[in-house]
Amino acid sequence: MRNGPSRRRAALWLGRMRALIMKELLQIFRDRVILFSMLYMFTFNVFLLGRSVNMQLYHAAAAVRDEDGSSLSRELASRFRQPYFRLVRAREGHKGLGLLDSGKVMMVLDIPPKFEESVLAGRPARIQMRLDATYPLQALQAYNYGRVITGGFIPESGRGGVSPPEGPGALPAITSEERVLYNPNLNEGWFMSIAELLEAVTIFSIVLPAMAMVKEKERGTVEQLLVSPLSPFQVMFSKVAAVTAAVLGWTTICVFAVLKPFFHLPVRGSLALFFIVTAIYILACSGLGLFISTIAGNMAQAGLQSLLLVAPIIMVSGLWTPVDAMPHWLQVLTLFSPLRHYIDASYGIFLKGAGPGILWQPVLDMAAIGGSVSVFAVWRFRRQCA
Amino acid sequence: MGKSPVVKGMDPVISVREFTKDYKSVRAVRGVSFDVMPGEIYGLIGPDGAGKSSLLKAAAGVLSYNGGQIRVFGGIVCSERAAERIKPRIGFMPQGLGLNLYPELSVEENIDFFARLMLVSRAALAERKERLLAITRLERFRQRRVRHLSGGMRQKLGLACTLIHEPELLILDEPTTGVDPVSRRDFWAILAELLQGGRTALISTSYMDEASRFYRMSMLYEGRIIAGGEPSDVLKTVPGSIVSLRCDDPERAAGRLKAVFRQAAVFGREVRVFAKGASPDEAAARVSGALSGLDVKDIRCSEPELEDVFIAIMQEKGFLQTEGPAMPPVPRGEQAARRAISSGIAIEARNLVRDFGSFRAVDNVSFQVRQGEIFGLLGANGAGKTTVIKMLTGIMPPTSGMGWVAGADMRRAGREIRENIGYMSQFFSLYNDLTVAENIRLYAGIYGLSARRARSRAEWILQMAGLRGYESSLAGRMPVGMRQRLALGCSLVHSPAILFLDEPTSGVDPVGRRHFWDILFTLANREGVAILVTTHYMLEAGHCGRLALMHAGRIIADAPPRDLRLAVQEKAGPVLELEVEDPFRALELIKGAGLTGAALWGRRIHILSRDPELALSRSRRALLPPGLKILGYSVRPPDTEDVFVYHVLAMEGREKAA
Repeated sequence: MRNGPSRRRAALWLGRMRALIMKELLQIFRDRVILFSMLYMFTFNVFLLGRSVNMQLYHAAAAVRDEDGSSLSRELASRFRQPYFRLVRAREGHKGLGLLDSGKVMMVLDIPPKFEESVLAGRPARIQMRLDATYPLQALQAYNYGRVITGGFIPESGRGGVSPPEGPGALPAITSEERVLYNPNLNEGWFMSIAELLEAVTIFSIVLPAMAMVKEKERGTVEQLLVSPLSPFQVMFSKVAAVTAAVLGWTTICVFAVLKPFFHLPVRGSLALFFIVTAIYILACSGLGLFISTIAGNMAQAGLQSLLLVAPIIMVSGLWTPVDAMPHWLQVLTLFSPLRHYIDASYGIFLKGAGPGILWQPVLDMAAIGGSVSVFAVWRFRRQCA
Repeated sequence: MGKSPVVKGMDPVISVREFTKDYKSVRAVRGVSFDVMPGEIYGLIGPDGAGKSSLLKAAAGVLSYNGGQIRVFGGIVCSERAAERIKPRIGFMPQGLGLNLYPELSVEENIDFFARLMLVSRAALAERKERLLAITRLERFRQRRVRHLSGGMRQKLGLACTLIHEPELLILDEPTTGVDPVSRRDFWAILAELLQGGRTALISTSYMDEASRFYRMSMLYEGRIIAGGEPSDVLKTVPGSIVSLRCDDPERAAGRLKAVFRQAAVFGREVRVFAKGASPDEAAARVSGALSGLDVKDIRCSEPELEDVFIAIMQEKGFLQTEGPAMPPVPRGEQAARRAISSGIAIEARNLVRDFGSFRAVDNVSFQVRQGEIFGLLGANGAGKTTVIKMLTGIMPPTSGMGWVAGADMRRAGREIRENIGYMSQFFSLYNDLTVAENIRLYAGIYGLSARRARSRAEWILQMAGLRGYESSLAGRMPVGMRQRLALGCSLVHSPAILFLDEPTSGVDPVGRRHFWDILFTLANREGVAILVTTHYMLEAGHCGRLALMHAGRIIADAPPRDLRLAVQEKAGPVLELEVEDPFRALELIKGAGLTGAALWGRRIHILSRDPELALSRSRRALLPPGLKILGYSVRPPDTEDVFVYHVLAMEGREKAA
């Protein structure tokens, strides 16, 4: 007997949700700015940044002050070659510092007079490498490359004095066998394109629900919804559901239209699993977006607050800097960035072939963050309009 | 007219010729021409979107335009440099209550800022500031931040800031919209006083009843001037008489009269007809003839008002279809969804109070709305109308007090009440990026209508709102009147027994407003829907079956509109309107003779007096020594604004005494 009315109530509830979700989806797809931004972020942006952004030392401008002018010095200089270094001719008598100051080069190599003479005489020869360390990562790489180049410099012409150690047994040595797992070609495109996709998912999952909710507030339509028999939960959850559907749709397009054909990204785990994880992640981020909408009074505030939230979430997530390198207190904070757990899960599925057995932990963390934020947002919304 | 204070042969202060303004592909103003002569108050009257603001902004040199020419003080305003030359001689106040003011600054700081901006010398500023603060009676509030001022006070301060550099020409964009009637009267009196030094003013308004405040005016509609001249001349362009009568079945009477006279409307329990070209006696006879067989009482004749004339002109010029949207009957079986309310009382508020911090927005408000009644809450912006509605609909909890909607306690039975009420806010809460059909479907879904019922209700709404053929237009691209009716339709999708309308007619032209009220009347009369409606248009209040006047959070009077008017006429008397030479001087003299309630309306003087004959003879005597003549006079019953002002002043008097 009790089954009848409760089933009817459930049908009514679902019917209302369907009406609201349809409305949200229509609004998302009719807004040309949103449509274009999503198109750009999920396709062109992933493609462009995946192809072009490179964190390795690449075409670094370097000047050589060769005061020796010998064949040996010229040979050394020529070892600083493409694609890592790009040699810039320094003017005669130029001290080199000016080039560094003006940013024209990031490295100056000084080869003093009598360099060849010392080397050939078997005396220690000194050269100097001056580096512009404004960008520490690049400078460090240049420094390491320079050391490798000069350290392993064996004059090919091998006249007299210096001769390469002969035979494997000449010195005791440790041989290091390197095996690069998951991305054996160190293909940066794989890393970058996934990173950009995850970023786009994060941004839209937070911004879209915040905007949608604030728009209703600004236009006064939210009052219309509140005097109808809808509950605050229905009003909010319909937005989350619509945003989840929209962002998942674009993620699918990105995976099949960009990541697979252009980057030949391997999908070692289950794609279905990736979409499930993504859906949970979007739900978690939408909670943050809704939370913003309960604070922001207008669109401009919502935009600014989204920015303030998205930036640290991405920075702290470990997407651009390894979590292990962060100070301990920050490492603890990273646990609160849902993106951190999503990164673990996504790279795991794409590159490592991780399955549910490994992924339950990050997914649970994500759900916990999203769930608690959402509950808080609904509570605030209910209190504001009660 | 020779008696005009406007000196003939002088060059106009503003001369507008064939003015055209486009906003992207939309032509907002199409070839408008008029002249404003020195020393006059010139009015632009029209609904929102008629092109008033574009004209005013262009004349003030802050908006470029596409065609035609505007000359101000003889110079063409066509470039930024030309505009800069005239700006020191102009005072411009943009639309919106005190939008040109800085809410974080105090009254005095605002005035000082505007003075410095206009390079007013220190000595002149000190002198003018005192005078302006005295006239606007803001002296006591000089240290108060603007954000803590009421709407009326802001408007007065805005005017003071606009006048601090003593401009020769004042351009004011809708200075009185949303201001309470007392402050509104105050504002016009202050303006009249400030304009005495031969200054000129160009003022826009959307209130038709303000026309008599102007010397001359232009009526604008959709970017064109549809009538112009002195208010009395505009009224004469469509001669005829207004007949109002009482009838047991006003709907049937109005239906019959519409067939004969085109312009007939139900106002509460009265029907009002415009018999064009007919003298009062003729009109009364024709109306009685058309209604033979019906029980008709209290036939009264009066002169048409500007709104009647506006609608008549628009009909003549073919701007609108004669037939408004027709109200289709509700299919049987759907009315059953409406729960009969046993007590007959649909809404009851008892001692409702709402505080925002230390500010009391709603103060001890009580009223009852019966089933089938249109109950109006009339008051200014900020009077607390919206807050009352928000509390009754459950959007906002009251600080104290109780309320019942459809017999259920508003604090407990939230969901239950919400299934039974319709609500329409002043923003026409539609989704502008959805089409007409999608909006209706959304609300049908929200209220859980079955697919079959949703279809039949959608049909009903489209017909009721006259939206057939517009199903797939985006709601945001529709004209205001249609959006308004669509919003009403959406709030009626579930056939609610009770309807809450929060300023449903804001920004809609008079014709659209009449259509809208026709629909409301049918809903209440035919289907017994209880309607609680708020408005700040005095003219509209007459449509309500019962009217509550709201001021500063309190209800100061509550009765059928006719009873309210009769009561005030009994207590304070009718309005005596005098047409005089040199109205400024005349007013001083009449006030000096002890008729302190006298006020300037355009170039005429209004006196509220229980004995108009005596007031007339006293005025005559007062004007005799300087030889000023009374050119004409008339006596008319007090209108809603008179009623409102009377009650506010009476309340304030009681409070002072206590």
